[in-house]
Amino acid sequence: MTLQHFRTFALIAAVAVASGGAAGQTFSQAAGGKQLFDALCTDCHGVNGTGDEAPAINHPLGADEAALKKIIRDGAPERGMPRVRRFTEEEVETLAVYVRTLGNGAPVKLAGDAGKGRAVYQKLDCQACHTIGGQGGVLGPELTKIGQRRAASYLKQAVLEPGSVRSKGVQGILLNGFSEYLPVSVVSKNGSETRGIRINEDSFTIQMRDANGKLYSFRKSELVNVDKQVARSLMPSYKDKLSAGDADDLVAYLVSLGASK
Amino acid sequence: MSARTFTTLFVALLGLALLSAPVSAQNVPYQRLVNAGNTPQDWLTYNGNYNSQRYSGLNQINRQNVAQLRPAWMYQIKKPGVFEASPVVADGVMYISEPPSTVTALDVRTGRALWTWTPQIPDNVIVIGSPPVNRGVAILDDMVFAGSIAGHLAALDAKTGVLRWDIAVDDNRKGYYLTLAPLALDGKIIVGVSGAEAGIRGFIAAYDPKTGKQLWRTYTIPGPGEPGRDSWGADSANIGGSSTWLTGSYDPTLNTLYWVTGNPGPDYDGDVRPGDNLYTCSVLALDPNTGRLKWHFQFTPHDVHDWDSNQIPILFDDNIGGRPRKLLAVANRNAFYYVLDRETGAFLSATPYAKQTWADGIDAKGRPMLKAGNDPTVDGKQVWPNLQGSANWYSPSYSPQTKLFYQFTREMSTIYYKGQAKYITGQPYTAGGGTAVNGDDAYAAIRALEGTTGKLKWEFKLLQPGMDGVLSTAGGLVFSGTEEGNFFALDAENGKPLWDMQLGGPVHANPISFGVDGKQYVAIAAGWTMYVFGLP
Repeated sequence: MTLQHFRTFALIAAVAVASGGAAGQTFSQAAGGKQLFDALCTDCHGVNGTGDEAPAINHPLGADEAALKKIIRDGAPERGMPRVRRFTEEEVETLAVYVRTLGNGAPVKLAGDAGKGRAVYQKLDCQACHTIGGQGGVLGPELTKIGQRRAASYLKQAVLEPGSVRSKGVQGILLNGFSEYLPVSVVSKNGSETRGIRINEDSFTIQMRDANGKLYSFRKSELVNVDKQVARSLMPSYKDKLSAGDADDLVAYLVSLGASK
Repeated sequence: MSARTFTTLFVALLGLALLSAPVSAQNVPYQRLVNAGNTPQDWLTYNGNYNSQRYSGLNQINRQNVAQLRPAWMYQIKKPGVFEASPVVADGVMYISEPPSTVTALDVRTGRALWTWTPQIPDNVIVIGSPPVNRGVAILDDMVFAGSIAGHLAALDAKTGVLRWDIAVDDNRKGYYLTLAPLALDGKIIVGVSGAEAGIRGFIAAYDPKTGKQLWRTYTIPGPGEPGRDSWGADSANIGGSSTWLTGSYDPTLNTLYWVTGNPGPDYDGDVRPGDNLYTCSVLALDPNTGRLKWHFQFTPHDVHDWDSNQIPILFDDNIGGRPRKLLAVANRNAFYYVLDRETGAFLSATPYAKQTWADGIDAKGRPMLKAGNDPTVDGKQVWPNLQGSANWYSPSYSPQTKLFYQFTREMSTIYYKGQAKYITGQPYTAGGGTAVNGDDAYAAIRALEGTTGKLKWEFKLLQPGMDGVLSTAGGLVFSGTEEGNFFALDAENGKPLWDMQLGGPVHANPISFGVDGKQYVAIAAGWTMYVFGLP
């Protein structure tokens, strides 16, 4: 099936679902749910719910029926999940049923070993910039419960190519889809340059923190340039510094953080 | 004393007398509304004047001194909610609405409440399509009028807040509710309804201010056999939306009421409602005595992106093509700035004022020339402008001093999805939705457009798209706010920033200006607080 054929097929399937009620056919919740999930959820939750920027949901979920439907309906903006779009109650029901079916498969086993990964974390001195359990630096995101927020594929990419992932919804300060830990370079009217990460920003001011943890607050009218480096990260890439095995171990450790025991 | 000196002194004294009018007056007959431009110490209608220019004739706060602006008082609303109210000020009293549907009168000197009134709202009230907000009240004679999310319209005694009457505009169980500020005309109160995301059939209605009796109702979707009904295929008209949820404008000389209409339903699946879907996404010119339609202009025929045309139509007069014209201008949610002849409804021009990817332009008759492939899909289709549009309900401003139209412009896209459409009374009937492409991928700007052409004169960029109205003043200033909580003043001629303050909560409201005790003030709602600013 070519891509175009596939899309045509998908469209026909969509029309069939949309008109299902009117034609008096049985509305298939599982089929409708997969279609909605594939279109709306896989970008963040991964194909079949294996997780990516958003957590894996291909396992039995702790949320009860009401909580699951609420998060599908409204999102969880404080945790970086937007309300995807307005759903009818029937669509919410359909998606909730489908999401539950994702947990019926065999659990995915990670390649790495979390215990070894912890040693890798310490050896690389990740704690210089990241905090786990109250210990560590503040230049990068806190990782205490990162396993609840991100899945293995995303975390691996964040370790190997930090600039290619954009952290959102971790610190809960700049909402509305803004990148967090964004590297910024500003130049004031007297020519002095300040580099750091953006802490907060409004239309007239910007707050940032430099590599030494020092806080800066500028009025934009006093700056001649504000360079927001959207595709960059202050974190170096570990692509050439980690063996494949060490990378998998590190990812397994991160995934384990905050996971229910 | 020369005659001229005397005249100047007299006008100054008169102005002072008016500014210090006693708190007890509270009588606003229709003639005061017609002449609102002559009493800038008051702010008597939603947009300050029937022409909806949201322009203040006060100039005490101006380019030279606005940098000294400071808070005079604040009033915190009693129940957290989205606070989008635009105040009305008359004779020393400010009337505001608090979310979801409370009305409160405040002493403009101190911000102290004089009375407050809250209607009965059922726990199971149906509000589909917006947050449960209220954008303001109307005043006429000695009464204040306010809608509610329960779908009611109430008349209150302006002095005491005592309820005079309360009527159901329509059935909330079917999805009808009210968020707009009513418009008071001569012997009638005009309202429109929200609910197009729940499959209502929209209408505009007039009520007797004394009794609450309905004087007329004009549906914004034609009935069977009426002209335009054939623009709805597949028996889709009766649940087609076309809500009327924003306050209209009025030309007393032409005795014409201008009212804008919202999206067709279901929002994102046009297949089930083939045709232009009249009179959705339009401006209607009505005879206010009868509700009869004089003319209509549809901005977005057969809309599939939820681009309601509920943007304020501003009325002004200027020369076009070498002759004086009575004009109506709208910066539409679909990213085009339209200029119409408001006597005839003739289309004069449409110019993009924000990024858009859905049309090659607007043809000579005012109809968009569509680019193919921009309808919502099951997998999602990214289109500019954003679902909430490059403009929305928040008010623009027109300054007769600069002849510029000031618009808070949203530069943002949405990934539009097509979903299921199945009408169930009182439930969402949208058939899809959208995901905003926001954050560092979006921005906003105050844009100053030449009123007669829409040509960009200047812009002042802002961090992110918000819902922020604009006020222009005779002091040569433009006031607006931001999603991040800034409130600021720009030079109306060139957009240069002159003053700003962080208010601690998002501004989703329209600024106004008023005067009392010989001093000018500017007011804006932000977060859960009404702020009033003045000079030291």
